Amino acid sequence: MARTISRALAIFAALAILLAACTGTTSGGPSGSAATGAKAAYGGSVTFAMNSDISNMDPMLSGLFVDRHLMYAMYDSLVRVTPKGEIIPWLSALPTVSADGKSYTFKLRTDVKYHDGTTFDAESVKWNLDRYRLTKESLRLGELAPVDTVTVVDPATVRVDLKTPSAPFLSVLVDRSGMMLSRKTVEAGGADFTRKAFNAGSGPFILTEAVKDDHYTFKKNPDWWGKAANGDKLPYLDTVIIKPITDGDVRLTNVRTGQVQATNAVTGKDVPTVKADSTLVYQEIAGIGYNSLVPNRAPTFIFNEKRYVQAVSLAMDRDELLNAGPAKGVGVVAYGPIAPSHFAYDPSFKPFAKPDIAQAKKLVADVGKGPLKFELLVSSGDAATLQFAQLLQSELLKADITMDIKTLLFNEIVTLQQQHKQSGMTLIGWSGRIDPDGNVYDFNYTGRPNNDSAYTNKDVDALLDQTRTTSDPAKRKDLFLKAQQIFVVDDPSRIFYSFNAAQLLTAKSIQGFQDFPDQLPRFETVWVQK
Amino acid sequence: MTTYILRRLLLMIPVALLVTVGIFVIIRIAPGDPVLTYAGEDKDPATIATVRAELGLDQPLPIQYAAWLSRAVQGDLGRSFQTHQRVLEAISERLPVTLELGLAAILISVSVALVVGTLSAIKRNSALDLLTTSVTLAGVSFPNFYLGLLLILLFAYVVPGHLLPPGGWTPFSTDPADNLRRLILPAITVATASLAVNLRQVRSSLLDVFGQDYVRTARAKGLRERAVVVRHALKNALIPVVTIIGIQVGAIIEGAIITETIFFIPGIGRLAVQAIPSQDYPIVQGVVLISALSFMLSTLAVDILYAFLDPRISFSAAEA
Repeated sequence: MARTISRALAIFAALAILLAACTGTTSGGPSGSAATGAKAAYGGSVTFAMNSDISNMDPMLSGLFVDRHLMYAMYDSLVRVTPKGEIIPWLSALPTVSADGKSYTFKLRTDVKYHDGTTFDAESVKWNLDRYRLTKESLRLGELAPVDTVTVVDPATVRVDLKTPSAPFLSVLVDRSGMMLSRKTVEAGGADFTRKAFNAGSGPFILTEAVKDDHYTFKKNPDWWGKAANGDKLPYLDTVIIKPITDGDVRLTNVRTGQVQATNAVTGKDVPTVKADSTLVYQEIAGIGYNSLVPNRAPTFIFNEKRYVQAVSLAMDRDELLNAGPAKGVGVVAYGPIAPSHFAYDPSFKPFAKPDIAQAKKLVADVGKGPLKFELLVSSGDAATLQFAQLLQSELLKADITMDIKTLLFNEIVTLQQQHKQSGMTLIGWSGRIDPDGNVYDFNYTGRPNNDSAYTNKDVDALLDQTRTTSDPAKRKDLFLKAQQIFVVDDPSRIFYSFNAAQLLTAKSIQGFQDFPDQLPRFETVWVQK
Repeated sequence: MTTYILRRLLLMIPVALLVTVGIFVIIRIAPGDPVLTYAGEDKDPATIATVRAELGLDQPLPIQYAAWLSRAVQGDLGRSFQTHQRVLEAISERLPVTLELGLAAILISVSVALVVGTLSAIKRNSALDLLTTSVTLAGVSFPNFYLGLLLILLFAYVVPGHLLPPGGWTPFSTDPADNLRRLILPAITVATASLAVNLRQVRSSLLDVFGQDYVRTARAKGLRERAVVVRHALKNALIPVVTIIGIQVGAIIEGAIITETIFFIPGIGRLAVQAIPSQDYPIVQGVVLISALSFMLSTLAVDILYAFLDPRISFSAAEA
């Protein structure tokens, strides 16, 4: 028996290695309606595996990315986003915005009911937005900080007045800050609502069962207002089951054995295998999340000297890190935080297309304090991150830069960053936001909570302030790119090296499942081909 | 016996208190800030300060402990930082799952150990004896997570028919057949570690007993070997084995931690695995307390069982 196991594993490993030599481009994914020409079929069930369990189902208190997997199934937002990043009407039409950019008037749908039977209207919107922005323990306070007042104009109209113009404001309402819940159910649920959010939403699916660490079951909302592009009433599926399966090998095995029909988390080493599997469909697009090295640029710390940051950035081989590192080519090389799906993305911005070892050495020599040596903090218990750090370490050595790797608990690293006490650099990612402001502002503006590098640059602050007060996309793009030139190249705040891949792996029978840059699944257009 | 049991139960109280103090302090002095984990990607300082006060983490440690203890003695172990679920509710939802897994593992381990250990003792130094020694040593050398993954891959890709699912859980009350199918692989994974210990213990206890005069007498009287082993030797050989099994029952929760994660089973072990890195203090405290209590209760049960297995053992002698 042991020999059979070894043989099976050896064959499996050999196949994986062989297929890893093949680089594949994204296989085309189905669109929202029947891509193959077949008519979408009603009925059926899909089980989806995510890589971690949720913390809670209340958008007000949700702090984890995975929480949103469930929320998009059971809640509707005021507006939503397409895979291309365009904001579209959802529970509301796109708002009219006053000339000064401070007043947003939302015309609401009048055919929406929550799962508990109560009506969605302007009062409900006001209650939800006030709850998110005024409850002291709300984790949406930062996102809704620009809001001054929320006013019910009539049962189908709400006006939101801002303290100052905020161009990214509408994008914030796509996600948790714009999700609408039934007041009756939330108040009845009390403290237990975070885990038992039954009948609270108005979305395409109704949460019927929630077993933590095991599964979440959703049934079709037969009264949902949504329609497909061809006029079909949505959703198609009868049931959606979402399961948290933390181990990547076990998750993939469940997909390949049919226990699970879809997942959005495939480890890099398994991508060649799934691409070669004719029973599966693999989609991959550039995500909006990025990965970066975060230097501590506070005074008295080594990376207060910007030339050291530039030297490390120049010495890195980003292509090698992506292709030879644990990601195994899954993802996209990044030079800055503005993602390919952002309107402000500039594909020609490649300041560090190839490593420049000579220039890196010169910069360190110019500082005049001898060779550069620093500490990189990585999260313990994460083999992939450690592997990445070791590859980076070998690259930096070519420029005579010594990087010592120190592992700490993730919480400990986050605490040090928050206090700006990390001695060297840390490795940190960001799940990304639809508007480039969500990837840029808080991380590079002086004194902001996510500015873990303690970075400060008056020119960047001024440019970023303008990106918020200007609504013209062309002008905003120009401002973002000017700021990016500074905080990436001239006076770096961080060292960006890759964008996450938004993956979607589905069984071949699953149709209509679109891959979004935010990596979140949308089940309303999904159907099962029989 | 009643006095003995009562005395042991009373002694559990100070031990439980010491355990709670120990875990309370240890998890709080560990580096990292649970409030930052709770806040996730949102790091607004005002929000973090509010959350810290809401969770009582802005108070001095002794005040935090006193507040927790005063609620705990009333049956309130607090709420999870992450999910806001009551700790007692979270544990009671998951405990039956872990118990079912643990008891199934012990059943497998004990059954196999009894049979194979007995045969090994009877056929000492034979090929069978060497084989079982090698296999059990290999089993205990395999890390739990590796064995679990191997079994999943084996039944997913090698053994045809997908007979056993690659993880997941169905409650027995929902579908008994599916529950048992999903129980097999994780139970084998958990059982493997204790199997070696149990098997060796059965073997060595039997070998000790085989050397006793009464066994020699039984053989000399012409009793068949099966009667000698089963009716005379095994009963006495099981006494030290019972001790070990009792400890294993008490350690069910610890044993299931990795296995529940690999097979994504919603048990106490998986709850602890998620709570520890996210520093969900109430959950960690609750799980450790329950583990400690179960360990103490199982050792008490073993001590009581001794008296029935061996009439020479009396509680007055134990107390002296």
